[in-house]
Amino acid sequence: MAENVPCQHACPAQTNIPGYIRCIVEQRYGRSYELNRMVNILPGVLGRICSRPCEEKCRHGEADLGQPVNICHLKRAAADLKSPWHRIKENLYTPSDKKVAVIGAGPAGLAAAYELATLGHKVTVYESQERPGGMLMYGIPEFRLPRDIVTLEIDNIIRLGIDLKLGVSIGKDLPLGKLMKTYDAVIAATGCLHSFALSIPGEDLEGVYSGLDFMMRINTGEKPAIGSRVAVIGGGFTAIDCARMAIRLGASKVSVNLRKTEEYMRIDAHEKKEAKFEKIAIYGLVQPVRIMGEKGSVTGITFERTRLKYLAEPPYRVAVPIENSEFTIPIDTVIVAIGQYPVTDYIKPKLKLNGKRIWTAPDTFKTSVKGLYAAGDCITGATDVISAIARGRKAALEVDALFVKHKRKKTMVRIESSEQTDRKRSDDFIPRSQMATLGPRRRLVDITKEVELGYDAIAAEEEAKRCYLCYLKYEIDVNRCIYCFACIDVAPRDCIKMIKDIDIKKDGSYGELVETGEWNNVVAIAIDNKRCIRCGQCLEVCPVQCISVSKVELIEQDMER
Amino acid sequence: MPKNDHYVIIGNGPAGNKAADRLRDRDKEARVTIISDEAFSFYYRYKLPDFIAGRISEDALKVRPYTIYKEKNIRLRLGQRVERIDPDEKVLYLKHMKKVGYTKLILATGGSPRVPPSFIRFMEYFTFMTNYNDAVRIRPELQKAKDIIVIGGDLISLRFIKMLTGMKKNIYFILTRNCFWPIELTSRMAGKISSSLEKKGIKALVDTPIAAITRQKNKLLLETGDGQKIRADMICSFLGLKPNIDFIVGSGIDTEKGILVNEYLQTNYADIYACGECAQIYNPKLKDYWISIGSENAALQGETAALSLLGAHKVIKPVPKNLLNVGGVSVNTSWWKQF
Repeated sequence: MAENVPCQHACPAQTNIPGYIRCIVEQRYGRSYELNRMVNILPGVLGRICSRPCEEKCRHGEADLGQPVNICHLKRAAADLKSPWHRIKENLYTPSDKKVAVIGAGPAGLAAAYELATLGHKVTVYESQERPGGMLMYGIPEFRLPRDIVTLEIDNIIRLGIDLKLGVSIGKDLPLGKLMKTYDAVIAATGCLHSFALSIPGEDLEGVYSGLDFMMRINTGEKPAIGSRVAVIGGGFTAIDCARMAIRLGASKVSVNLRKTEEYMRIDAHEKKEAKFEKIAIYGLVQPVRIMGEKGSVTGITFERTRLKYLAEPPYRVAVPIENSEFTIPIDTVIVAIGQYPVTDYIKPKLKLNGKRIWTAPDTFKTSVKGLYAAGDCITGATDVISAIARGRKAALEVDALFVKHKRKKTMVRIESSEQTDRKRSDDFIPRSQMATLGPRRRLVDITKEVELGYDAIAAEEEAKRCYLCYLKYEIDVNRCIYCFACIDVAPRDCIKMIKDIDIKKDGSYGELVETGEWNNVVAIAIDNKRCIRCGQCLEVCPVQCISVSKVELIEQDMER
Repeated sequence: MPKNDHYVIIGNGPAGNKAADRLRDRDKEARVTIISDEAFSFYYRYKLPDFIAGRISEDALKVRPYTIYKEKNIRLRLGQRVERIDPDEKVLYLKHMKKVGYTKLILATGGSPRVPPSFIRFMEYFTFMTNYNDAVRIRPELQKAKDIIVIGGDLISLRFIKMLTGMKKNIYFILTRNCFWPIELTSRMAGKISSSLEKKGIKALVDTPIAAITRQKNKLLLETGDGQKIRADMICSFLGLKPNIDFIVGSGIDTEKGILVNEYLQTNYADIYACGECAQIYNPKLKDYWISIGSENAALQGETAALSLLGAHKVIKPVPKNLLNVGGVSVNTSWWKQF
């Protein structure tokens, strides 16, 4: 899968990306949306704020092939362009008598609740805030994610008969022990609500915020006081959100300060570009040493320079301070957004932890307390929404297996015979469709105004046509091949190879192809699916029709036993 | 040293040429290759405005003739773009699918026009003037143009304006203080520059934001934030340079704004060095990273990189804060940090 359909493999939820992009070309937006929704219950949300691990792996972005497909924008296009009267499909199973409680109505909790509800179990979700959504509602700024989209997609989940209890904090309003007794299983999906501190002098001064606290206050309607010069510490999504929000709240000079460099920021290029467009400066190779203040308020911050040091294993580079390199700049507000960790003190008896995160047994989502499962950011640390959704769903399937005594869904590879698509070779050279955005003035006047405007049907089709549709697989039937080499002549890159040997693995499957440059030694001509861009030129030119096309998709199948 | 050494230099500017010369002087047997995506030979960049104005010929731009390279046995690969570096395999991939192996590599890729993010949306209307190709393309256009807007700026922009006044053009100079390169101008400096320009008959607009640029028949219409409308034939952007490192980012070679090097101009790979306007060095005197500008600094760094590469461990000294006189104002130009 990693070699054949790299985007789908990179997606934590394994979304059928070529499948839904093809639907957009065919203007079947509703089907496209549903293909997403099978594994990711919030396509409209993710189409706006996904961290896009798929685009990094997109074959179109390989050297000499141009830029990756705007997969995320297309996901949004499917959600935007589908009919308002679109029919949602649910695969519902027979109701059971099992009751499950989910703690936290964030992406992981919602995904788990949805999956359990479709599987027939009675689900109650406990959420400490006044509205469901977790970080979607309280963490991510509205200019990136309009709240009506969040509400709509959450309503689609809740109406499956999920009991959503808002404003109930487990541990405070209701002890966890009681929950454990009332329900057959409990899933903790409480996210990461504690912010890491810099642990430097001056952090308690007025004008120093933690990134999450800053965003939550704004998203609950407050307007935290900020000065005109703002320094954000950290380089993740929260840091950039805080910086962009600070500009909207009237700051004139906002900088994002990194210990390492831009290259190591955990955000996509798109977010960086928007931030820079809003005149946010990104400074690399600095780390804060102390925050200075007068009369209890921030007046400045002292940084020291760092340099990169090589490590042989991940994260490969660390920042080490340079001696005697301290410098101070005047500043009015400091926002510290260097990461978060979960709240675990409500769980008694004490849980086994993995650092500051909740420990779970590998691949089972079981915590050290019997009957208590955990999913999402509280076991992994703050990640991204798509990972949280994927994990919430998997945890739900584990809980289901506990009741049913076996797994009811299994992921299989389906291979079906296919035909050459109507993609033209010229489609490979369509430039990336840019997402229209609000101009610099209009976007800053209202902090809730969505910056990205979405694709219209034409832009969506143009972008969708760029996809190579890597779920198609081209193969040469060696028995029929006449070794005319015509396919090699028309190949757009070195994707068809002359083979002198094939490794055969212990289980009988084919391993690496051993290439040769000598015609005398050729035993087969083979298409290297890692290099193939599915242009179909070989198929058209083959005089003996020995090249076949098949469609390879990951599907979920019900397991009777 | 083994006889099959191949020193490759990417970039055919002052840093690259100096490095190539020094390598050849000290090592007669190694292969030395300069690769450059420009097809024109080594030239003086600061003379481009004079060339565009038609005051000097193409030959006067050239620093030295091609024959020198033959005499010195330095291979020139001009018009060939390096697309990717694989530092672990020690291989360069050129645009035309050619692989070039090296034993030691010097990156002297220089800079390309800097466009601050707030100007990016107007980029399609801008004319840039950073290399020979730009100059050749602009030369006839400029002869015809009457009204010219110069977005400033940098040191070359002031030189360019001087050249335009000589050509009797109608000039508007938009000076954005925090976009001046390589330094941020104080309001006093900006005031001095604009008043000295006004004396020469140039309309200077200080810190006037651009609201929109549109194309109308043969003219470009620029609307400022305060409602002025300026029609012009050309809008020339001079906002300094940014290091050419796009093809290096992600290769494993450490970069920030430029290519990160130590005081020997060595990157995080022992056999790769960087020098000139693409190299970023920590300067203990400034307590900051800096990137040198100007051909003299570049040549000095080219020499240092070559000597370090050959094992001399020559250290690049932090350049003192040079004061240059720009339009009657003293400006510190030996380093810059803002983009």
